Amino acid sequence: MMSNRFTLSKRLLGLLLLIGGAAAFMGILAIDLLDVGREGGIGPAQQIALVGAAALALVGVTLIPLGDRRA
Amino acid sequence: MTDTTLPVPTRPIRAALSVVTVNRVLMAAALVILVGYLAVYIGYGLNLMAFPFDYDQGEGFELVDTILFSRGEFPYKDTNIYPFYSSNYPPLFHVIAAPFVWAFGETYWYGRLLGFLGTLIAAGAIVFAVYREGGNRAIAAASGLAFLASNTIYHIAPLFRQHMTMVMFETLAVVVLCGVNEIEDKPQRRRVMLTGLAFILAAGYTKQLAYATAFAAFAFLFIRQPRRAVVWGVGFGMVGVAIFVWINVATHGQWWQQTIAANVNEFIPDQTFGLYRLWFGLHGFLIVPAVLLVVYELYFARLSIYALWFVAAVANAALSGKWGAGDSYFATAIAATCVLSGIFAARTVKRAWTFPPNYLTRIAVPILHPFKALARPFGAAGLVIVPLLYIGYGRAVLHLPTDIAPYSLVADALGVEANALNGFYDSAGRIAGGYADIGHWTTQADIDAGWQIVERVRAVSGDVLSEEAAFNLLAEKTVITNPTQLLNLALNGMFDSSELIALIEAQHFGLVVMRAQFYPVDVLQAIDRNYERTETIPMNGFGYILLQPRAVPLRNDIETGGTG
Repeated sequence: MMSNRFTLSKRLLGLLLLIGGAAAFMGILAIDLLDVGREGGIGPAQQIALVGAAALALVGVTLIPLGDRRA
Repeated sequence: MTDTTLPVPTRPIRAALSVVTVNRVLMAAALVILVGYLAVYIGYGLNLMAFPFDYDQGEGFELVDTILFSRGEFPYKDTNIYPFYSSNYPPLFHVIAAPFVWAFGETYWYGRLLGFLGTLIAAGAIVFAVYREGGNRAIAAASGLAFLASNTIYHIAPLFRQHMTMVMFETLAVVVLCGVNEIEDKPQRRRVMLTGLAFILAAGYTKQLAYATAFAAFAFLFIRQPRRAVVWGVGFGMVGVAIFVWINVATHGQWWQQTIAANVNEFIPDQTFGLYRLWFGLHGFLIVPAVLLVVYELYFARLSIYALWFVAAVANAALSGKWGAGDSYFATAIAATCVLSGIFAARTVKRAWTFPPNYLTRIAVPILHPFKALARPFGAAGLVIVPLLYIGYGRAVLHLPTDIAPYSLVADALGVEANALNGFYDSAGRIAGGYADIGHWTTQADIDAGWQIVERVRAVSGDVLSEEAAFNLLAEKTVITNPTQLLNLALNGMFDSSELIALIEAQHFGLVVMRAQFYPVDVLQAIDRNYERTETIPMNGFGYILLQPRAVPLRNDIETGGTG
């Protein structure tokens, strides 16, 4: 990855988005697990962020089949 | 003499020619509409530059920041002590404006001129980007003009505020960095990279919101060439952090407190959703092609910096729901929308779309096969649809004065009546929370009213507590407090109001001028206990409330009844 010729493929970008989106999704949910005293459950800002994270992961999944094409 | 060897024109060629003619006529109509908005923009800019007071709340404090920089002082100060003033914005815009203070004194016009010109530069960069990618002059011009025609861009551009200067630097950065990885010549590539990253740094030190563009740019660099992105990212980060630490040390930590910690404000989801709906309602004709180009690049081509910039800017606009934020947070997204929609339009007109085979084409081909015969007419339809997009956009963003010639002639012809202040029509309707109630033109009556307030301030001996800086500056009095920043700090538990309240309790201020009552609650209560309303002067759509010391202050309990 650190060579001068390396460029991300659609597959690798898809994997990164999938992992990043899934991690973000779980991280946003984890706020409520770690901070149990919060009122109101999953708040509106969290809901927006969850949708964004899920969308990111979904886009990642759809990029993976594109294989070695340059991203 | 006719060359008989040439083929006789066939019906499809004549049809194609007629579609090209329709395209040209419609594109000319679109450009006429968009040039009309340029005329409104220029008129509005000139109108504001001649207005000597705050037009948008807080402009005066940007002028104060500029004055402080012109004296070699940082505006990031301890707000717990007299004069309780601090800025919450990064320095670059004010530093750029500072030489104007030396040359022209303490006035508003040069800050507004910088915003006005910066917006034109951003529009020029959009024109350049679209022309470079698409090679179509008319569409490139329409893209830049569409940026200026946006209701949001129009109404914030000629203000004494740093936002559009940030957008200018952001736009220049992405336009410069767009093809950096494809430059074979190493010294030239380094120069281009350095220039692009310098623009991003400049954007960030103009307004914090530029971090989204920095993220998009480095994501683009990382996708294209991870090693280069990491190496330059480390250098970029070191320079950015070094400047940050230097300012923080020089201001004894006030830089961090005032510009970062105090800016964590309440999030109002309904405001965000309302502004997203409004953004789409006004710019939908360009957003749809922009999104289609992003999807195309994602699955059938390489991701451009513009696509990543668009996604980052649209996501970042979610912050428009913060208290104190608003539709201006969409300005970067609008710039990216104009670039992408322009490239989409140029490619459509050139019929230059290609779809390399992949799993999506394998799914689509059998479905689209029955419609194969429609491919040619569908391509020709693009020639008509593209200018119609710009005409539709021109209708969606309609805004103009309804009682100032020659704009009034257009308003009359369209049957448009004023729906905003001072005879102004704005298709945004000004109903979404967070949409700035500006864009109207100021009148001589507004200027007269402003001078009336200045006279009241001048008539008082000693300090005056004003929610806007202009009156104190023009009366040559010390500017006391920056109310919205005090509220930011108070909401984050970072403001000790005791010294300011002690001065209010002692009726130290001979006059208090209120516009929106932005002070923290305890400060407003102290004002109410010790001052009473003596006069309300309407200016620029606001009732400026003038309060003088009460003969007998109210007790610090239930007697407080509110200033409003």
